[in-house]
Amino acid sequence: MSIFDYDWGLFWEYREALLAGLWTACAVAIVGLLISLVFGLLLAVLRKAPKPFNWIAVAYVNIFRGVPALVSVIWVYFGLALVLGIRFTVFQAGVIALSLLYSAFFAEIFRSALQAVPPGHTEAGLALGMRPSQIFFSVTLPQAVKIALPNIGSMFIGMVKDTSTFTVIGLLEVVRVTQNLVATTFQPFVLYTAAAIIYVLAAFAIDFVFRMIENAYVRPPMGVVGRGLRAHQRREIVALAARIKAVTPATGTVYTAK
Amino acid sequence: MNGRAPALAGATADARSGRPIIELRGINKSFGKTQVLFDIDLAVERGQHVVLFGPSGSGKSTVLRSMNMLSEPDSGSLKVDGVEFGPGLPGDVGVKRGGRLELRRRVGMVFQQFNLFPHLCALDNVALPLRKVRRMSKAKAREKAAIALRRVGLIDRAANYPAELSGGQQQRVAIARALALDPEVMLFDEPTSALDPELVGEVLKTMREVAETGMTMVVVTHELGFAKEIGDLNVFMEDGRIVESGPRGFYDSCKSDRAREFLRAVM
Repeated sequence: MSIFDYDWGLFWEYREALLAGLWTACAVAIVGLLISLVFGLLLAVLRKAPKPFNWIAVAYVNIFRGVPALVSVIWVYFGLALVLGIRFTVFQAGVIALSLLYSAFFAEIFRSALQAVPPGHTEAGLALGMRPSQIFFSVTLPQAVKIALPNIGSMFIGMVKDTSTFTVIGLLEVVRVTQNLVATTFQPFVLYTAAAIIYVLAAFAIDFVFRMIENAYVRPPMGVVGRGLRAHQRREIVALAARIKAVTPATGTVYTAK
Repeated sequence: MNGRAPALAGATADARSGRPIIELRGINKSFGKTQVLFDIDLAVERGQHVVLFGPSGSGKSTVLRSMNMLSEPDSGSLKVDGVEFGPGLPGDVGVKRGGRLELRRRVGMVFQQFNLFPHLCALDNVALPLRKVRRMSKAKAREKAAIALRRVGLIDRAANYPAELSGGQQQRVAIARALALDPEVMLFDEPTSALDPELVGEVLKTMREVAETGMTMVVVTHELGFAKEIGDLNVFMEDGRIVESGPRGFYDSCKSDRAREFLRAVM
């Protein structure tokens, strides 16, 4: 039996079911991403806090980085129901499981990104009379986010792939859809190949989107998107500069004493 | 306008009140087990231009950084306009005390490494602290920032990001950023040491213009030619102590062997 004897037409025939699976996977991953970003950042900040508090962050990161997604989701979906009587939908359980794990990874990504911002910028902010919280949000965080973006993109691809393990709780993502189709068509080779291709294409698409976001963050702006986003600001500043130039003397005093 | 030719800036003659604008008394500072400042006493009068010089590791920058509490002294008194911002002296009771934010809003600082915020254009580098510290609206802050950039000759670069500016231009933006907050004192921590030689001149020119407006300045520098020109009070430091200080003409008349030796080596 050669590779051409398989019924590759199943790709097209079941495209809607497979893409619906991809959409579910992405939806779980996107909600998980947003939650993980927030908690990851909080953990990264907590890690720099004084002693008893930073231990919480260290313990959390080291525990949850080591838990596999499969174990995590079983524990959230079945374990919490058993122990506390809390019943989540499969979607909620998937989001919670992903968030628990990836908050730990994002905490490390943000920690290294925050450390990569030169301490001189914080000092400059302090010397200008800014509060530490103002410096964090206006100076440190924007730079750290830019540094962290490539890693966040890679992690997000991992999150989408990890949703495949949520098959065990019956989440209708790509692998679960594939399993169901295999049960009726008896064509596992074709359908799992389709699943693999869908994941790879999704990874390419995610990579592309994150590169666009990265480009939008580069200063000075680069690329069509980056420049396009800043064009309005640039025009405003150039106009303001021209106006100020017209009404103030060319040279002279730098400072007007009170 | 409080403009004034630099030649008229006498040593301590110009103090408007009898009280120095900045007064350090008995400042001690250690990093771990290494003591870097020993009982520093220094008074800066309003409008005075003070130069701190001396070999590397002598504690000049630490003295400067004590003046806005970026480096907190272990003991001693830092008074700005009579208000205590440091740990204080044991005998001083009933002195008005101020917080760090209040201090830094009155004292501007320029760093060796410029420390512009790379994600903001030149104009917004100047405007950001105006918005955050002075609580100005975005439009007002940008307008004031543009005026500050105009005065350091960089208005045409307002929309450029730090990466698009030369070192000298970055330092001038940093000076504009500090000046835009209308400080009473400006601290300069080796402002030209990180610059290519051909860019030093433009920064010194800007600093000279700031000096000519009567701004109180404390400058740590290795540019002794510039120091000679603007220094109303010149302070030579070594090993965490003030060895000797003097008014204009100090560089030709210093008494200590160490200061003379140092000057011979660098001039």
